[in-house]
Formats: sequence, C-alpha cells, structure tokens
Amino acid sequence: MTFFAPFTIPFIIGTIFLFAAVATKFVLWLVRLPRVDKRLIRHNLFTWHTLAAVWEVVRESLLHVRIFKVNPVLGFMHASLAFGWFLLIVVGWIETVAYLGAQWVPLQGHVFFKYFMPINGITHHEPLFEQLMDALLLVVLTGVALAWMKRLRSRFMGMRRTTKHILFDRVALSALWFIFPARLIAESLTAALYGGEGFLTGSLGHALAETVPHDLLVMFYEPSWWVYSSLLGIFFVAMPFSRYMHILAEIPLIFLRHWKLHPTAERKSYDRFEVEACSRCGICIDPCQLQSELGINDVQSVYFLRDRRYNMLNLKVANNCLMCGRCEAKCPVGINLNTLRLNSRAKRRNIPYEGRYKYLRGLDRSSGEGRVGYFAGCMTSLTPATQHSMEQIFKAVGEDVWFADRDGGVCCGRPLMLTGETDAARKMVAYNTDLFRRHNITTLVTSCPICLRVFREHYRLDGIEVLHHSEYIDRLITEGRLSVAADARRYTYHDPCELGRGCGIYDAPRRVIAAVGEVVEPKHSRRDALCCGSSLANTVIDDSQQLRLGERMTAELEATGCDTIVTSCPLCMKAINRAARCSVEDISEVVAKNILRS
Amino acid sequence: MAKRVVIVGGGPAGMQTALELKARGIEPIIVERDVELGGKVRDWHKLFPSFTPASDVLDPIIRGVKSAKIRCFLGQEVRAIAPDGVTLRSEERIHADAVVVATGFTLFDAHRKQEYGYGLYSNVITSVDLERMMNNGRVTLADGSEPRRIAILHCVGSRDEKVCQRHCSKVCCITGVKQAIELKQMFPTADVFNFYMDIRMFGAGYEELYREAQQRYNVHFVRGRISEAAQTINDRIQIKAEDTLTGRPLRMTVDMLVLLVGMNGNRDNESLAASASLNIAPNGFFEPKDSFRGAVCSQREGIFFAGAATAPKSLADTLAEASMTASTVAEYLNHKYNTR
Repeated sequence: MTFFAPFTIPFIIGTIFLFAAVATKFVLWLVRLPRVDKRLIRHNLFTWHTLAAVWEVVRESLLHVRIFKVNPVLGFMHASLAFGWFLLIVVGWIETVAYLGAQWVPLQGHVFFKYFMPINGITHHEPLFEQLMDALLLVVLTGVALAWMKRLRSRFMGMRRTTKHILFDRVALSALWFIFPARLIAESLTAALYGGEGFLTGSLGHALAETVPHDLLVMFYEPSWWVYSSLLGIFFVAMPFSRYMHILAEIPLIFLRHWKLHPTAERKSYDRFEVEACSRCGICIDPCQLQSELGINDVQSVYFLRDRRYNMLNLKVANNCLMCGRCEAKCPVGINLNTLRLNSRAKRRNIPYEGRYKYLRGLDRSSGEGRVGYFAGCMTSLTPATQHSMEQIFKAVGEDVWFADRDGGVCCGRPLMLTGETDAARKMVAYNTDLFRRHNITTLVTSCPICLRVFREHYRLDGIEVLHHSEYIDRLITEGRLSVAADARRYTYHDPCELGRGCGIYDAPRRVIAAVGEVVEPKHSRRDALCCGSSLANTVIDDSQQLRLGERMTAELEATGCDTIVTSCPLCMKAINRAARCSVEDISEVVAKNILRS
Repeated sequence: MAKRVVIVGGGPAGMQTALELKARGIEPIIVERDVELGGKVRDWHKLFPSFTPASDVLDPIIRGVKSAKIRCFLGQEVRAIAPDGVTLRSEERIHADAVVVATGFTLFDAHRKQEYGYGLYSNVITSVDLERMMNNGRVTLADGSEPRRIAILHCVGSRDEKVCQRHCSKVCCITGVKQAIELKQMFPTADVFNFYMDIRMFGAGYEELYREAQQRYNVHFVRGRISEAAQTINDRIQIKAEDTLTGRPLRMTVDMLVLLVGMNGNRDNESLAASASLNIAPNGFFEPKDSFRGAVCSQREGIFFAGAATAPKSLADTLAEASMTASTVAEYLNHKYNTR
C-alpha cells in the first residue's frame, strides 16, 4: 500500500519541525529548573498527583471546563476546536484500522486517509465512521465559525474586547481558520469523484458532482489536498512561536503544578511553561480596571505575558499593574499572573547599601511578651482610628498584647518586593521574624492585608498564627469573648484585593459586620470585587488616575444605599474616603463603637 | 426706582459690596446662610501682619450695613442663581437687576487627614480652633494646662493631591507665622515649631514678620511635612517628619499640634454654577471671566463675583475686590438702563 503523494510534503515538514521545536523547548526548560523543583518532581512523580494531573489535562486541555465556567460560548468555541480536533485524530486513526486492520500506516496515511483510499483501491465504505468523522468535522467547523465571529465582533462572544495579535499569531491564526474549511472542500471533492456517504462531505460531494463539470472537479482535486496539507504545515511551523503553543505547553504545566511546582519571587525556567501556556484568549482584558476606567490597553496580563515571552517587555508595562488579581481570578489556564508580574520586576542586582540599615540595630524599644502581637502596619499608622479601635477591643477582652510595630517593628517588606528590591525586602523580613520570635508571641494580628499576605507567604513563622484583625475579631465574637450591640445601620463591605483574592478572606469580615448591622452587597463583591486604585503595586499611573478608579468603585458601593461603607484595609480606606459622601469606617471602628460592656 | 442687586453671602465681601452699592444709590439685598452677618472672620482674633483685632475691621462694616438699612435674608440658602435674581431653598424668588456671588470658601475638614488625628487626639487642633481659643481668652491643653512645646503644621488640605486639593490657600503661611508669634507671646518659654514645605511671604510686611518670628521670638522652622501623629500614653503627640534640609527623619513629642487648614471651594459651588451655567475652575472655586480685566465678572452678563468665591484671598484683598465689584456692577447697570 502506498501512503505517499507529493502534496503531503508540507505536512510532513511541518510535523517534524513542530515535534523538534517543542521537544527542544520542554527539555531545555526542564533541565534548567532549580534543584528544589527537580527534587519535587522526583518526589511526586509516582504518586496519585500524576493521576490527578492526567484527569485535569482531559478536563482543561481538551474540554476547557474553566473557560466554560467563565464564558459558556467561549468555552464551547475552545472545546469544539480542541476536543473536536482531538477526536478527529483519534477516530481517524480507528477508522484507518477499521479499513486496513492492524498494520503500520505512516502519519500522513492517517491524516489524509480519504485521499489514499481510492489510490489503494479501497472502494467499500464504513458508513459509521464516515458519519462520525463528518459529525466531528461539523463540530470543529462550528468552533471555527465562532472564532471568526469573535474576531469580527467580540461582543457576540460576551467579551468587550479581544486580543490584538502579533505576526506569528496572525499567520497561525489564518492557517487555523482555513484548515478545516480546506479539509471540507478536499474531502467533498474526493467524494464527488470517488463517492462517499458522509452526511456532510458525501452530500456536498454529490451536489458538486451534479452541478460542476467533471473536468473542473478533476482539475481542483489535487490542488485542494495541496491547500489542506500546506495549511497544516504552515500552522505546525508557526505553532511553537505563536499563541497556539499553549495547546502543548499547558499539558506539562498541569503535571508540574500537580507535582507542587510554582513560580516564585525570582524568575526561573518554570515560568516559561506558564508564560507559553497563555492562549491569549483575552479573558483578562475585560476585568482590568486600567482598561475599563482609564483606557490603558497595552498592559493587561495577555500583553504582559506576550511581551515577556518575546523578550520585548519594558518595565513600564511590568510596573503598570494594580496587582488586584481580578484577571488572575478569571484566567482559564490558572496562570499565576501576579507572581509572574512580580518577578518580572525583580532587579538582577539590587543589593542595597549596607549603611542604610544601621538604624535597625537598637530599634526595638518595646517591652513585654504578650501572647498576642499586634502589627498595625505602616499604612494603619495613617489611619489611627483603626489602631485606636483595636486598642479598645484588646482592652475590652483583656488581651495581653505586645504592640509589635509601634516601638520596634519595621516595614513588612512588601512595598520593596513590589518595586523589585527583593534583597532589601529580605532584610526587613529577617528583622521582623527575629523580633516576633524574641517576644515569644503565639498569635500575630495585623490590620493591613498587605502585611498579612507577606507574613503568610514570605515569612517563616511556624508556631505563630497570623490573623487579619477581621478574623481575630470574628473569632472573639464567635467564642463569646466579645459581645457587640446591634444597630440599625446598613453597611456595605468593600473586599480589599489583598485580603479577598489575595488571602481568600471573605466571610469573617461579613460575619463581624452582620453582628452589628445589615450587610448589603455591591454589584461586584468577593472574588469579583473592584480594586480601590490606591494599590502600592502600580508605580506608573498618577494620582488623578488612582482617584478616578477610586471614585468609580466608591460610586458602586454608595449605589447600594448604605449608611456606611466598611472596609478592612487602610489603603482602601483612604481611597474610599477621598471619594465617598457617606461615612467610611474600618471594620474595627464599627465593632469598637458597639462593644457591649458587661 | 432704584436698581436692585442680590448679593449671595453676608461675609466681608458681600457686606462691603452692599455698602458701596448703597452709596451709589443702588438697592442691595444680602442673602446669608448663617443666622448672623460676618462670615468666618467672626471667629478670628487678630489679623496678620499687623495684629489688628479682627473686630476692629469687621464691626464697622456690620454696623454700616445695619445703619444703611440694607435688607438681609438671614438663615436663608440660595438654591439657584440667574442674572435676574435668585431662588432660595424655600423656593422663594428674589428678583434683581444683577447678582453678586460672594459665597466665600469652605475650610478644609481636618478629619480627612486622619493621620494627624484631628478629632481623635485631644490636643490636635486647627488654626481656627486656636483663634477661637484666643477669642475666649485662654489657650490651654485639653486638661487645662499650658503647652510647653507646640508644632504648627502648614498646608493641611492645601497643595495636597491626596485629598484632591492641589492649590495653595495663600494665607496659611502668614497665619502660621502670626499664630506662632502669638503663642510665643503667651508662653515665652514654650518651643514653637513650624513644619512647612515652602514659606510664601508675598504680602507687604509678611517677610518682615517671618524674620521677626525667627530673630525676636525664636520660632523654629523645619522644612518638611509631618507624615503622621500618634498620641502618647500621657496625651502628648508624637510626630514623625523628615527634615528635608538635613535629609534626616525626625521624631518629636509635642504638647499641642496646630493644623493650618486650607481654603477649599464650597461643595455646592457646582450646583450653583450649573443653575446659571457658570464655570468652576479645577480647584473647585468659581472661574472668573478673565483673570486680568474681568476678575469680578462671570461668564454670564449680570452675574458678578466678590471675594474668596473665586480663589483663596486675604481679608485685605477681599475688601479691595468688593469695591471693584461694586463699581463694575454700578457701571453695568448704568450701561444697561441708559442705553435702552
């Protein structure tokens, strides 16, 4: 049996190139992983984690369940393309076996089987497979049609904006758009000349045979297969350098994640898997408030990852991000967008001048060894009402408190990390850790969600429980140590980014407020909450732009008709205060005002 | 019949305009939100740079308004303005041949700079609170004792993007110098510190007073804004700042912190402006037609401005401008009715 024709050459070259390019990438990235990560892989390879990864590959790489959850139409488009194409390959392979029995057939033999059937004298038909293959082709074509529509008008797909692409993407995208229509034409022409029973290609073939002169059909037959093969070849060559690399990069990424690898504050080759797993679907564009409120449209995660991937990232793009995490919450691939953004900012050499830190010596003038350490946070020093309220609460429950940053602590280090000064940040971390240990605290309460997140993620505080003050107060109330009077006020709670999406704390503050008054939810809340705009993470936008973000989100909070806006982050507090007409309080103030004294 | 002019605002600007219009045979009507005439100067003790008692300036004006029998609507708020009169909140309309907007300014609410602890710490006060204390004849700490160390902070609610007030309020620098000297006169052994960004001594006699404060009264001037204040266990105030001339952070405990609050545009400027299609400048004050030759004119014929409604101004500037407004209004009415 022959399985070669000249038109298959573009396809064969494309396929060989694709496999070589992708294999080189994966091997290089894996080899360059830091030793810790390699150890993790060895440790977790033969465990159930691997099985879980296989299941996730099916769910995500083929079915795209997460995109379905974010946007069903978009999910259908991705699933019909990915899963449809995958089934075409698998069913196509079974089809070959059904016709020829178990014998070795080269790759192009499977892919262009319809072409090789008449050449090898196969004239009988397996109707089941023909119908099945046609049905699958129809599914994929539906996906392609949706993709066309998305390009034409993204609103059809429930997206306000879609991604702007680079050249490689455009080449690959154009090839992909026409691969399946070309296949439809080639197979229909084949059916017109040699017969076929599929409801799609077969019927189209019959129609062609009846309407188009035979000579013309013969004339277009060979070229139609050339077009199909060339489009496949072009797509495969462009694929490793285009967005479509995500199809392949996501698979090892899922395994690596299940083996507990994750990106860190320093760049490493693992990041490449995450960066190239971005399909540039553009789901991250709509949630970005820089885009919707300020019209900044070249810094969103999709563009940031693209720029980073092709080594054309400039610091202005890396720094122009609130790191509110709204895009990360929506990313269907689950890419750690904030961490990647953060480690793009890390400066290669940022060892600070030693003399600058002389002041750290002898800084601790505090005394006492309270069971609970209270770290108000630098920003809370600018909202002393919060501090004052916490003092009242501590007093009311008779807590033995050591005030950690009033007379001894330094900055938690997060602002330094955000600007890429990781070495300087490490100094702060080491100093504070030592301080907490020296005072033998068992619980650390902070009023600043930024500090909270750093304490939880970057400090080694084993044996010390780190709580946000909203969690701490919640605990006091549920344990019955603190009782509060209910008032008749309506409160709207604003979820701070670092506390909500950052640390997953949504319910504790709501329980606390509910103990005092009625909680009314704004349009966007919890995981979907808007950012106040005063994030320390963005060093590019100016004050008036921050203000505009703050005004818009405050207007949404006030639209609930609440009496008081409550938040639990000093930065959000200041941002809302600038724009609000109703009163704004920290959650501790709400509680401190309503303490019932026994 | 005498032409009639409604003046919105019964502070120095409004009253002075009314007096001068009356002298020209025009009938002024003052509408004042407060139940008393006089505006914010009523709370003031002495005026810079000459230490003239504020009442020496204000009282003759108020007496003049009363003796000239100028009609005043007190405790009434204007909802909308037009060249032919104003509408009160009570929906009553007062017809006129021209309108003068002399609505003045709003003091910056020091609570908004929570980091200074106003309303939270007992010994943090504003410059206005200090004047009131001086009017009452006694400046003391909350517990009644004498302050031995006082910090005066400039630019609270002025030149501060964080509270959306970018403009300079113009009079706080000299007020800070004046109050520092007054405090030193009351408490000669006390230390008085002025924390400033720039010292702007533009008026006649201001620079001389600034020099006197340093040389004769030994008032300390530190270039650097206070970043935060915290109350100590014995109700003193610990402040953190940076001395930007030496480039070093500074921590100091004082008995009293005085916040020099700035002048902001009124919150209802926007609705008033909208009712008559006037312009509001980005700083929140009314925008005059032209800052050189039409400083008291609005974009609408028949509506004029006087005093701090258009920008922060000292009392002297306000009174001078009121005269200009009166003559401009008189000329307008003259022109309007004699050419008809």
